[in-house]
Amino acid sequence: MIAVLRSEWLKLRTTTIPWLLSGIALVITGLLILVYFLNHGDGGPRHTGGFGGPNPNVPHTVQQLRNLVGRGVNVYVFALLLGVLIITVEFRHKTVTTSFLVTPHRTRFVLGKILIAAITGAALAVVVLAGTVIGGGIALSAVGGSVSDMVHQIGAVAPGMILVYALFAVLGVGVGSLLTNQVAAIVVCLGWFLILENIIGGIWTGTVKWLPSGAALAASSVSAGGQENIGLFNWWQGSLLILLYGLAFALLGSILLTRRDIT
Amino acid sequence: MPSAIEVRGLSKRFGSVRAVDDLSFEVAQGRVTGFLGPNGSGKTTTLRMLLGLVSITEGTATIGGRRYLDLDHPIRHVGAALEATSFHPGRRAEDHLKTVALAGGVPLQRVGETLELVGLSEVARRRVGKFSLGMRQRLQLATALLGDPEILILDEPANGLDPQGIQWLRSFIRNQAGMGHAVLVSSHLLAEVEETVDDIVIISEGKLVLQSTLADMATQAGAGTGMRVRSPEITRLAEALNAVPAGWRQTGPDTLVIDGATPEWFGHFAAQHQIVLYELVQERSSLEDVFLQLTTALQTPGFAPTGGQAAPFPTAGDPSTGGPA
Repeated sequence: MIAVLRSEWLKLRTTTIPWLLSGIALVITGLLILVYFLNHGDGGPRHTGGFGGPNPNVPHTVQQLRNLVGRGVNVYVFALLLGVLIITVEFRHKTVTTSFLVTPHRTRFVLGKILIAAITGAALAVVVLAGTVIGGGIALSAVGGSVSDMVHQIGAVAPGMILVYALFAVLGVGVGSLLTNQVAAIVVCLGWFLILENIIGGIWTGTVKWLPSGAALAASSVSAGGQENIGLFNWWQGSLLILLYGLAFALLGSILLTRRDIT
Repeated sequence: MPSAIEVRGLSKRFGSVRAVDDLSFEVAQGRVTGFLGPNGSGKTTTLRMLLGLVSITEGTATIGGRRYLDLDHPIRHVGAALEATSFHPGRRAEDHLKTVALAGGVPLQRVGETLELVGLSEVARRRVGKFSLGMRQRLQLATALLGDPEILILDEPANGLDPQGIQWLRSFIRNQAGMGHAVLVSSHLLAEVEETVDDIVIISEGKLVLQSTLADMATQAGAGTGMRVRSPEITRLAEALNAVPAGWRQTGPDTLVIDGATPEWFGHFAAQHQIVLYELVQERSSLEDVFLQLTTALQTPGFAPTGGQAAPFPTAGDPSTGGPA
């Protein structure tokens, strides 16, 4: 199993996927930190005079600092894309023929992808977290906040974020095993998370906790203390739900892959 | 000795198309078997069924008595270089082989050894996207050899190789057989493998046309030997031949082909009958002719090449139903 993971990691790091995704995720996290400070810190009183008004309210409450450290949790969609790309890249470049010759049992092939996705998804969370702490710390000290107070909140935020990223990467592999066409899989994922979920959640509010984004919010609340999660599952229920979605897709994907002719 | 590869009653249907139809053949250990047939005759589909990439509609395809799927660390037993297999363009040749070695339970030192073996050591650190077709073929071969397998399956390995490359490939394949390994090599050109193979399996439209040793096939080709004779006295010649009697057929206004005759016999015969000759040529149908006869007879119903004997095999119903290659 270690050898399979080493093989999968070598496969992954010799593509541009992990580097490109980490880069984009960091840039977007940076923008989210900027927006956070322009909004004077979520959870604190808001300045009503528009962006960049004078006399900013420096984030200092536990919740404000956790919200700052946890900015990156909002870009878990990159972990999802990581999972999608980890498996669809094999089909895009037809390297799957060689992979299936080496590992003829396709369920085992998908399992290898799930494991590497979980590990690298967690690693992506750590990278984003590190970027947030550095970027957020610089911005915080610039407005006169306490960086050490912020650093104290990392332990509360990190586990939930790492968990959500790992689970979403697994979900991505599940989706990719079903939709092996890379472009189609990415379009479906982005379409679902950016558009459809909002529509479904908006119309039937009761479904929100069952949706992957609702589950992500629940799962990440392992860290987020006083976050208002009314109507959502608790953290382990949310985590389990994402995992079940991921494994259900992966199982269906494996069954379809096993029947598929690689020509 | 047990067969290295055994295919029994193998069939594959893609929708209504029968790409492979009740195919049976064997590949012996320590021998090179040429797997021949025109493009689209089902060679690649057969090989992919053997390797568990394409599902089998009916029949069995086993390697050393076991399905490919049931082999433990299959690349240590079977090395396959398939057509249209690709590499990630951004990956270095060495890294590609490492990913395969790690997942396939092969020691990493084999990476350098196989690159050396196929002559790619110099470009080990180069990205595969920059490789020529010939270099990709060599890397494909290196991938197949990585697990030091006792059975090799090569699908059109000569494609994209330059003449030196083809020469190298031939001696490489012979070398493998010399080591007691079984090699199954597919091609749509008999001439390409003629010097390399011991046995041949010919298929057309997914059906077996012939399984034989190359030696037996050569004998069969020799049976088509005849004398081509050009003479201004062709009518008299024909009458004289009928009196013998000897089989002949007219192939031109002043040309006859006499079946099974030798130049010595015919020289005396012509002198005896005082027939003027312009030309006397011994014709030997090549293996390629036999191959073409065997395969085109199936592919094009009602058409037999000039001078060919009637096809000994039933013609297929619809020539347009060739499966994907």
